[in-house]
Amino acid sequence: MATITEPRSTSGFSSAPKKTKGQVIVDWITTTDHKKIGYLYLITTFIWFLIGGLMALVIRAQLALPGLEIVQTKEQYNQLFTMHGTIMLLLFATPLFAGFANVIMPVQIGAPDVAFPRLNALSYWIFTFGGLIAVAGFFTPQGAASFGWFAYAPLSNTTFSPGIGGDLWVFGLAMGGFGTILGAVNFITTILVMRAPGMTMWRMPIFSWNTLVTSILVIMCFPPLAAALFALGADRRFGAHIFDPENGGALLWQHLFWFFGHPEVYIIALPFFGIVSEIFPVFSRKPIFGYKTLVYATIAIAALSMTVWAHHMYVTGQVLLPFFAFTTMLIAVPTGVKIFNWIGTMWRGSITFETPMLWSLGFLVTFVFGGLTGVILASPALDFHLSDSYFVVAHFHYVVFGTVVFAMFAGFYFWWPKFTGKMLNERLGKIHFWVLFVGFHTTFLVQHWLGVMGMPRRYATYLPEDGFTWMNTLSSFGSIILAASMLPFFWNVWVTTRRGVKTELKDPWGYGRSLEWATESPIPRHNFHSIPRIRSESPAFDMNHPEYASPEAKQAVKEGAGVS
Amino acid sequence: MLNRRLITAVASASALALLLTGCSAEAQRGWLPGEPGITNHTDRITGLWTTSWIVLLVVGAIAWGLMAWAIIVYRRRKGETAMPQQLRYNMPIETLFTVVPLILVVGFFAFTARDMAAIEAEFDEPDVTIEAIGKQWSWDFNYVDSNVYETGIQAQYDGTTETGNFDDLPTLYLPVGQKVQIDLMARDVIHSFWVVEFLYKKDMFPGRTNHMYFIPEKEGTYVGKCAELCGEFHSMMLFNVEVVSEAEYEAQMAALAAKGQVGKLGVELDRNQNLPGNNPEIRG
Repeated sequence: MATITEPRSTSGFSSAPKKTKGQVIVDWITTTDHKKIGYLYLITTFIWFLIGGLMALVIRAQLALPGLEIVQTKEQYNQLFTMHGTIMLLLFATPLFAGFANVIMPVQIGAPDVAFPRLNALSYWIFTFGGLIAVAGFFTPQGAASFGWFAYAPLSNTTFSPGIGGDLWVFGLAMGGFGTILGAVNFITTILVMRAPGMTMWRMPIFSWNTLVTSILVIMCFPPLAAALFALGADRRFGAHIFDPENGGALLWQHLFWFFGHPEVYIIALPFFGIVSEIFPVFSRKPIFGYKTLVYATIAIAALSMTVWAHHMYVTGQVLLPFFAFTTMLIAVPTGVKIFNWIGTMWRGSITFETPMLWSLGFLVTFVFGGLTGVILASPALDFHLSDSYFVVAHFHYVVFGTVVFAMFAGFYFWWPKFTGKMLNERLGKIHFWVLFVGFHTTFLVQHWLGVMGMPRRYATYLPEDGFTWMNTLSSFGSIILAASMLPFFWNVWVTTRRGVKTELKDPWGYGRSLEWATESPIPRHNFHSIPRIRSESPAFDMNHPEYASPEAKQAVKEGAGVS
Repeated sequence: MLNRRLITAVASASALALLLTGCSAEAQRGWLPGEPGITNHTDRITGLWTTSWIVLLVVGAIAWGLMAWAIIVYRRRKGETAMPQQLRYNMPIETLFTVVPLILVVGFFAFTARDMAAIEAEFDEPDVTIEAIGKQWSWDFNYVDSNVYETGIQAQYDGTTETGNFDDLPTLYLPVGQKVQIDLMARDVIHSFWVVEFLYKKDMFPGRTNHMYFIPEKEGTYVGKCAELCGEFHSMMLFNVEVVSEAEYEAQMAALAAKGQVGKLGVELDRNQNLPGNNPEIRG
């Protein structure tokens, strides 16, 4: 392999001559490079993840024993879980998708950038300022919004939640939502019109497919949220009566919110399914098993996810239970298909356990259990007891944390050489994984039992007689382990940045399949100096391992098409 | 491979059966609170809950088992340089793992549909009708047939005493063995009426009446909670449920009447009358 010849750059992102600090800052805030915007998203969302996580630690401290007063008032407690949910869902998980999609998707389809680079920058800044506004309520006298992240009317109107924090929440999220919508428009256009020659739809990597399907979901369900938020804002600021209970407004809000809210769950799940779908083949040394069924399963999940929203509303007594129960249960089928496709990818493979694979396996183990409890909750007869209990809290943390956080770290470790040109430390990565894995399950497994036994969610405290004490203490203890798992990660990023050796390899993992492994690490400004022939969904693999290439690629070579 | 899958399934099913029969009463009920036969619906719910879990855990055991198998058996050995066969798809297997879950789901839906229809079925002529009204942060109960009412305040638990003071909580009395209809309403925001041991809750909506129908079948004291976030003291919005004999029930009704709590606490106490614009003469 080539020895290091060019001088080491300090930024790690480009090999241009050293710039002053001011130039670097201006460069970042005025950038329209999809990769830099992607890194801005990744960095911003990770900061939100840490802030939301700190709130969760305070919540767990408050619940560690019955009758504690870690937070001064229960109102503050309500603000904490409201903003924890808001931050994790809308300021962390959703834009994290935009981060990964921005950095990786254009490279995977062989494009030099996204279709609308300036719109892309605008989306990021709208999201950033919208998010800051939504959380700014903490700096007002009455504090942040406290009506729960789903802001049920009439609790969310000014009669019951008069604080300015509520207004900031409503309008901040409405603004941030447009960032997500515009980002999705950008991704769809890019995928439809900017694929490299030979990159047919059926040769797109699964991650890019999932980016497309997710973006379509975004443009179907974020506009209704924006409309609902503006309507709520009009109620709060201008005395409109859209969500007055007299007009059935209490139920109207729930329908509008969950029409957004359920697809939202898949908006934050599908891209991360995409990430692990990229990782399993690389470390199993096999192509993804059942590529087409996997794509169809993704489309089926997306389609069904638009039809299940009222399963959040079984206990309202005002929805058609059999319809929503059946569509909800049906989602288990394509989800199961995905799980078996991932297992099928590993089956008879040659599996190694580098950090990205470890995180992906952690995702798979965790997500399966979240899926099982999801089937239970799909049944109204059982949900009547479990709804709004800690069983639901445990369920969605298994699903959402299991997917987003595990797959996020999988993606970080996997693509770090593409981001920075350096590999994260494997040993620290494995310590990071195991501490987080143990911490996560210690925190959330026991919450299933808490919910079944009768602990409602969003309770600021509970009674000794409830018999919840030891389980809550255990859960809070687990949350400390979970938080501690961030330390090896920070250390890893630090030592890698300071002392990490630059990889000169395009494909440091050795068995990379999609196009990002056919270009330099880090990715050059316009992504490619040359693009290999694209004859399958694994062009980089076909190029590097021609004897194991896909039948189409071998055929092309045989016909004398040659390799460019 | 199919054989292996079958063996895994049978093994895990029998392990589970062993676990369930060998375990405590709580485990046999899947840790649902209460005991058998508290209302006419609870045994049905418990049955669906435990059978669903057995089936799902078998499915989960298959998935986790296959993962463990793949991780252990197909790991790359030291010094190995060969590549595995580049298998891309296998239609029969893919069809199998699409169709089998589909059948399971349809079956699960059938049992769910049967049970939820039974749970939600109305009584033509309930023996007792009670209005339960949620308010920030307690409950009013109107015993419609007896023309008396009970009104509550939130729990007075400040964490300084060893236990909460349950005497302060409002108590809902129910006569054992009678058909009960509860009409659920709210005075301000959405609340949710959850009697934990009844394994059932339903939301209380301002501007709308929901209903629940059941027969309490076992005398005892049960725990009631609000399950929908309703503001600052949501966690203090507790109540008790006493299922008592017919005679005790009548005595309690008489006691309420003797306290002067005759009639009912109606919609005139709803706070939503003061919603902006609702009452121009007050708000302008």
